[in-house]
Amino acid sequence: MKAVVGGLGRWVTESIAGLGEMTIFAGRIVRALWVPPARGALIRSALFDSGVLSLALVCASGLTVGFVLGLQLYNTLSRFGAEESLGTAVGLSLIRELGPVLTGLLVAGRAGSATTAEIGAMKATEQLDGLRMMAIDPVHFVVMPRAVALTLVMPLLSAVFVLCGIGGAYLIGVELLGLDSGSYLANLENAIQFREDVLQSLVKSLVFGLLLAWIATWRGFSCAPHAAGVSRATTSTVVTASVCILLADYALTALWAV
Amino acid sequence: MAGPEGQSDHVVFEQVGLAFGRRPVFSGLNLAFPRQKITVVMGESGAGKSTLLRMIGGLQRPDRGEVRVAGESLADLDETALGRVRRRLGMLFQNGALLDSMTVFENIALPLREHTEQSEEEIRRMVHQRLRDVGLGDVDDLLPGELSGGMLRRAAFARSIVMAPEILLCDEPFSGLDPPNVSRIEALIVHLNRNLGLTVIVSSHHMASSLRMADQLCLMRAGAAISGTPAGLASSQDSTIANFMGEDGVSYLAGLQDQPSAGDPS
Ligand SMILES: Nc1ncnc2c1ncn2[C@@H]1O[C@H](COP(=O)(O)OP(=O)(O)OP(=O)(O)O)[C@@H](O)[C@H]1O
Ligand SMILES: [Mg+2]
Repeated sequence: MKAVVGGLGRWVTESIAGLGEMTIFAGRIVRALWVPPARGALIRSALFDSGVLSLALVCASGLTVGFVLGLQLYNTLSRFGAEESLGTAVGLSLIRELGPVLTGLLVAGRAGSATTAEIGAMKATEQLDGLRMMAIDPVHFVVMPRAVALTLVMPLLSAVFVLCGIGGAYLIGVELLGLDSGSYLANLENAIQFREDVLQSLVKSLVFGLLLAWIATWRGFSCAPHAAGVSRATTSTVVTASVCILLADYALTALWAV
Repeated sequence: MAGPEGQSDHVVFEQVGLAFGRRPVFSGLNLAFPRQKITVVMGESGAGKSTLLRMIGGLQRPDRGEVRVAGESLADLDETALGRVRRRLGMLFQNGALLDSMTVFENIALPLREHTEQSEEEIRRMVHQRLRDVGLGDVDDLLPGELSGGMLRRAAFARSIVMAPEILLCDEPFSGLDPPNVSRIEALIVHLNRNLGLTVIVSSHHMASSLRMADQLCLMRAGAAISGTPAGLASSQDSTIANFMGEDGVSYLAGLQDQPSAGDPS
């Protein structure tokens, strides 16, 4: 009993201390944004690594999810004779929920884990210490560009995901099942509000991007400096970021619903 | 050149204690590294040589005691202020620590780009000069991962001296090098010290080179250190010294000790 309480107490204090360190770390990243030089080239190359290299995965997943939505929703809607609303149903579910959330999870698995692994490997091989010895702040040189890139690519990739999904459902609904192309698109266009749907969707994915950037860079930066530590940190990034993205999704949805 | 008492030591350890978890590495370590001299730190694997160098760079903070570099106590400094001190240090890490996403050229040019206003032309000239110094040619566009172990260490050595530091810290500069390159790096270290006045602190297992270039030897064992001139250590009766150096080292040291009298004209 005593051991359990002790263990719980230790876990709580450690978690709080960990959160404190993470907050200080976030502060260092934000400060690094304003310190010259701006690291444009490093940010561009990080954007390529996180964004362009995730593009194929996001497009393929978006298309597939679009296919499935097209089939499932067509079947459901046709029971009520409402298959004409396929565009509305597909568009709203993709833009409001599936786009940001699934993109968040995919990018966490693809680019988030890669970011943690890369920073962690640099720590394990003393590259970060090497930078410090050259009086170059590793947060400014290594962490900040990658955090910026992860944050920025999330809304962009989410938009790509949504477009691919809508396209996929179009292929199923119109080309395969014979819905009228004009009514699919008109329904879609009528149902979607810019402020209510599109903007909220972008804000959601931006929040997911920030969360992922924070978690992925911190896990890499704070990992134990050896191969096993790097692999633990990488796994932990995917798990923690995925859970946080799902929780944040619920919180934001609930917030906007009231 | 050397100032008043105490100023002649560039790096000073005072009563330094450090433990990793429950395992102590240093307990009450007192050490001084004289200005513009070459000090070779020896000691068996795990004795704490790398840790010692990392402490001089402020990468590892001691649990107890004080490390002073050029008169400044590192304990009082935050990361920004440490950066100021580190710009006077050059460090060769045991495994090189080059950035593996950048080419060799960009790695060596990096500190110049970050801290100086030099033109591309000047940077190019400087980097190539340093690469020639360490005996590397035509590796500009290779990534560190594409170099051999010995080439990597020499490229890292080039990076550690490119900013013309006051204090050069070298963690095992000779490991993995062929004999000609050992001589080359040894000569380079001696040149940097004798002609450019660098204070050099080297950790090494390479007995012959170490003994040839050392102004001061420092033997680490059991969390403390014995230091002295090579000749001084040779005349010491301490059996641990003899044990560590082996027969070669001791006879070499004995030879050193005999030399002054042998060469004495009177
Ligand atoms: N980050 C660390 N965490 C825990 N223990 C460490 C750490 N770094 C070093 N040690 C321990 O400190 C001691 C000294 O290590 P150090 O790397 O300084 O030895 P060394 O003299 O450089 O050895 P070598 O000649 O093999 O390079 C070792 O016993 C090592 O286990
Ligand atoms: Mg070592």
